[in-house]
Amino acid sequence: MEQKREHSFWKILGKNLFPASLQSYLIALGAIFSLNFILPRLMPGDPLHAIYGDEALVAMTDEMEAQLIRQFSLDKSWWDQMLAYIMGLLQGDLGFSYYYREQVSQVILGALPWTLLLAGLALVIATAIGIILGIESGFCRGSSLDRGLVASLMFLGGFPDFFIGILLLLIFAVSLDIMPLSGATSPYAGYEGLAYMLDVLKHLALPLASMVLVQLGGIFLLTRNTMVTLLGESFILTARAKGCPESYIKYSHAGRNSLLPVTTATGMHIPHLITGALFIEIVFSYPGIGSLLNTAIAARDYPLIQGILLIVTVTVLSANYLVDLLYMRLDPRVRYAH
Amino acid sequence: MHIDPLGEISHDPLAKIGMLMLATVTLMAIFAPLLSSYSPHDYTGEIFSPPSMDHLLGTDSMGQDIWVRLLYGARTSLLVAGAVALLSTLLSVLVGATAALAGGLYERFCMRIVDAMISLPTIIVMILVAAYLRPSLPLLILLISAFSWPGGARIVRSQVLSLKERMHINAARTFGAGWRHIVSTHIIPDLSPIISALMMQDARRAVFMEAGLAFLGVSDPMVISWGKMMHQALAFTYLDVWQWWLVPTGLALSATLIGISFLSCSLETAMNPRLKKDHARDNARYG
Repeated sequence: MEQKREHSFWKILGKNLFPASLQSYLIALGAIFSLNFILPRLMPGDPLHAIYGDEALVAMTDEMEAQLIRQFSLDKSWWDQMLAYIMGLLQGDLGFSYYYREQVSQVILGALPWTLLLAGLALVIATAIGIILGIESGFCRGSSLDRGLVASLMFLGGFPDFFIGILLLLIFAVSLDIMPLSGATSPYAGYEGLAYMLDVLKHLALPLASMVLVQLGGIFLLTRNTMVTLLGESFILTARAKGCPESYIKYSHAGRNSLLPVTTATGMHIPHLITGALFIEIVFSYPGIGSLLNTAIAARDYPLIQGILLIVTVTVLSANYLVDLLYMRLDPRVRYAH
Repeated sequence: MHIDPLGEISHDPLAKIGMLMLATVTLMAIFAPLLSSYSPHDYTGEIFSPPSMDHLLGTDSMGQDIWVRLLYGARTSLLVAGAVALLSTLLSVLVGATAALAGGLYERFCMRIVDAMISLPTIIVMILVAAYLRPSLPLLILLISAFSWPGGARIVRSQVLSLKERMHINAARTFGAGWRHIVSTHIIPDLSPIISALMMQDARRAVFMEAGLAFLGVSDPMVISWGKMMHQALAFTYLDVWQWWLVPTGLALSATLIGISFLSCSLETAMNPRLKKDHARDNARYG
């Protein structure tokens, strides 16, 4: 009896930490590893040229080339090359960015916090506003508030994210000149403490606003439509019949249940969120992964592009995993199912 | 699911606006040579000239007529949209429907791939592949399609799974109908609303992806693309040229995207009776 309960406890814990979706995340990660490994080696000609790009090799000496060939085991079989590649990855070696003349992992780690700050804040703000507006709008469907919100947010959501960014940039930074044009901090200002925080926030405001504006529409519409469907369910009728106050029905009955599809959709939306952040960063020259990617594409710095792909994939998959864990907290049916 | 989506959406103002926007862009693309007196590859010799009768939207940093490039950019966008919509939806239906019908190991295999691909940051994968292959337009279309089908495949699969258990299909089976007959006369026609919605979604994503990739600097140098025009124009925000270079191009791209979204949203509402305004239960409560 005692043993049986312990067994089920571990089983539930295992289900909590390793949802079924984990398997597909691992497959996705494996696919990216293989793509990074196979793609340069499939290209016609010398694989070293493909890995580093023709442009990089112009600047390389014979010695460096010989060393790189040894490092990648390019003179050996595919099997040895793959072992060398995996060993390199396990040691955190993503290659050498010839453009920045630094390890790719170092370059990316320098830019990643800015992207996470931007995307993370945008996700939290857009989700919070979207859910609240969606609940309000869905609850009084057909009212002028509802119709106005649906029309305006759908219109906004239709814009490509980088164009919203460009419009905000043109209005507030170029024409009105009240916001900084680019970057994440004022260069050479030497701010410290609170002044530094304010400076960062001021630079963050426009990129963040454009991301929130674009993300808002989808979350809002989904919450609203879920609300509309939920309000027709019989448990709402029961709540009304037993005399629950309207605000209680709105938030605790219908609102709480409408969180479930929103959470799933948010998880599925994270890849778009991160890639959206990359575009916005390029528009505002924000020093995150997006600007890095822009430089890497222009300079054809292949190891850097590969590294970015890998890091962004890992970020997206971990975020998805966290959302899955959150979903299980929100919906007990998933926790104890099967 | 026996409703006529086209008849439903023709009364929806949202669909009308979307249709109008798309029609404008399509007309621009079709009549591009008639609406302009220059070729998009011509160099006029004057750079950054403001809008005039000669050049409706002025000229860019290379001295090329912006209005003409805007017109021909519509062709690229619509071509990519149409081709990707066809190809990607075809893949979605093929994978989704066969997975649902065949079941077993094959189904699990397909759905695992779909799950994995959905969780990837697609656009960066495409950038990496495109950076190696230096894509031409057909290759770009193949690339976008190759990464757009999984979402649709999931929807088609769940739809076919529920369809194949319906009463009329079981009835057809008891009369001795083979799978081929059931698929072609019952399942495919019932899927058509879903397929049209998928095509809209794929078309929208394709327009966005093409412009986005070009905006990031990944495109065929010979192809005229709105994304590339915006990428070039963004470098000159300190001059006044953005007013007739950056903004009109962005608006053209947005109009195309918004047009498609409005149409597909209206289509979705038409196909999901629970969201429809004149639902009986609703009238009882608010009426």
